[in-house]
Formats: sequence, structure tokens, C-alpha cells
Amino acid sequence: MSHETWQEQLRRGTLDLAILLTVSTGRLYGLAIIQHLEAFTDLVITEGTIYPILGRLTREGLLEAEWVEGEAPHPRKYYRLTRTGAKRLADMKGEWRAFAEKIDRLLVASERAARASH
Amino acid sequence: MHLTETGESRVNGYLFVLERSLKTFLPPDVVRDAVREIESHVRERVIEADGAPNERDALERILSELGPPLRVAQAYSAERTIDEAVATGRFVSIVRAVSHLAVSTIGGFFAALGLLIGYLTAFCFIALAALKPIFPNNVGIQFAHGVPVGLGAHFPMSPDIDLRGGYWIIPIALFFGLAIFVGTQRGARRYLSWWRGRRLS
Repeated sequence: MSHETWQEQLRRGTLDLAILLTVSTGRLYGLAIIQHLEAFTDLVITEGTIYPILGRLTREGLLEAEWVEGEAPHPRKYYRLTRTGAKRLADMKGEWRAFAEKIDRLLVASERAARASH
Repeated sequence: MHLTETGESRVNGYLFVLERSLKTFLPPDVVRDAVREIESHVRERVIEADGAPNERDALERILSELGPPLRVAQAYSAERTIDEAVATGRFVSIVRAVSHLAVSTIGGFFAALGLLIGYLTAFCFIALAALKPIFPNNVGIQFAHGVPVGLGAHFPMSPDIDLRGGYWIIPIALFFGLAIFVGTQRGARRYLSWWRGRRLS
């Protein structure tokens, strides 16, 4: 697997979690979600590909969407986390922390071994 | 930024291509909603770009960050059709999802080929079972010079072919037809599920 493929898989794997975390901060519309993601991460490469993911998360019942008119010159589609979404997010956060901790331990062990061998 | 007529046509052109591409795979209400959301995104970005010295450059940057309409449509289709096929296992959803992969990946092309062969084989067996009571003398196991050469229907019967097999062919053909159909369906669903997992992993 090339480095680029690995990076792409890592990015895709974490995008659902990143989107749910963003929406957990409050009711947000598509561009606001993208801007929040762009402010904290470099996960958004093509803005247009975030919308299909938002659609899937909505179909899975993790988000609920609502069109709001009159707030801006054009209608905005707002997303909010559902109860199922909040539960899934809590699970995902726990799994992510446990996973990151394990990889951190591996990194530390590998760096120690590298230092010891020099 | 207030769009000029040229700017409006550029945005409408982008949305038109997106809509046309989405219509290939998605139901009309989903297409309408998706195009409306992308249009809302573009309009939002256009307002943010207020004060940009050059409308054309600003608009091209906005659309390029959004991604080419075909790519956006492909992302919608992938998310929608494959998820639906894996979740429901419906014949139409599976065919739609595999057709989508067939035009976008090499693996998907071969999966679609396998799926086509599977469905055609199943259809042939079921057709044999349906034709046997109507044309009992034309459907059965074909022998040429005492050697079995095939199973099927012959219209008209060739004098060199000796047709054997009674009505017992019907349940056997039905069994094989349905078994191959179910096997193809399951195989396709498993492939899509694997592809979906790989995409999310």
C-alpha cells in the first residue's frame, strides 16, 4: 500500500467521527460543518464529498436534517445529532481513545527500542 | 458578492451537470435535495467572497474547492446506492450498485460481469422450467450420437439431436435456477459489503 493510499484510508476512516464531533457542538448547516472541520483538521479535501456523507449519516439515523428558509438569502439545510447519533458518538469516542492509546504505546516502545540500539 | 449573468450561468451549468449525473443513479426527490444543498453551499460561498476583485476567479475557486460535478455525483452515488444495496439486499438496488462500481472500478467491472453471468444462468434454468410444459418435445437434455451435448430448448428440433428428459426436468431446473439466483445475490451483496467496509476502513 502506498503512503498516499494509507493516508486516504486514515482520512476516510476518521471522517465520520470528525463530522459527528462537529455536529455535536450544535445545530449546523453543511458549509459551517466544513469550515469547522477545516479549522481543526485537514480532513476535507473536496468540499462536495462531505454532503453525501452527511446524507448517509442522516439515513443511518445518526443525524437529522431540516431545511430552514429566511435566515439567509438562500435556504440552508441544518443538521443535528439524534439520540442514536449521540450514543454512537460516545461509543466511537471511547474506541478512538483506546485505539490511539494503543498506537501511542507502540510508538513509545518503538522509539525506546530505537534509542537503546544506538 | 453579487453574481452577474455570466456568473449565474456558470453556477447553473455546474448544477445542471451535477443533476444530470445524479439522475443516473438516484431517485428524483434525492436528486432535488442534493442539488438544492450544493446550490446552497455555492450561494453561501459566493456571499463570503464579497469584495473579491474578480468574480470569475472567485467563482472558479469556489467550484474547484467543491470538486468537479461528476466527482461529487460519484460520491453521492457511492454512498447512496451501495449502502442501500447492502442494507436491503433488493435485486434492483444490488444491480444499481454493482453497475455504479462497474463504471468506476476495475474490480467492479469484473463483479458486474460475474453478476450478469450468474443472473443469466439462473434466468436460463428458470426459463427451461417454464418452457417444458409448453414445448415438451423441444426442451430437455440434448444428445448427439448418444453423447449429451447440452441442456436447453431447440426450435425447431434438429434431426441430429435426440432429446431426452421428462417433466422431472422442471423441478431440477427450478432448483438450479433459484439456487444460482440466490447464490449470485448473496455473492454480490457480500462483495458490496466488503467494498463498503474497505471504503470506510
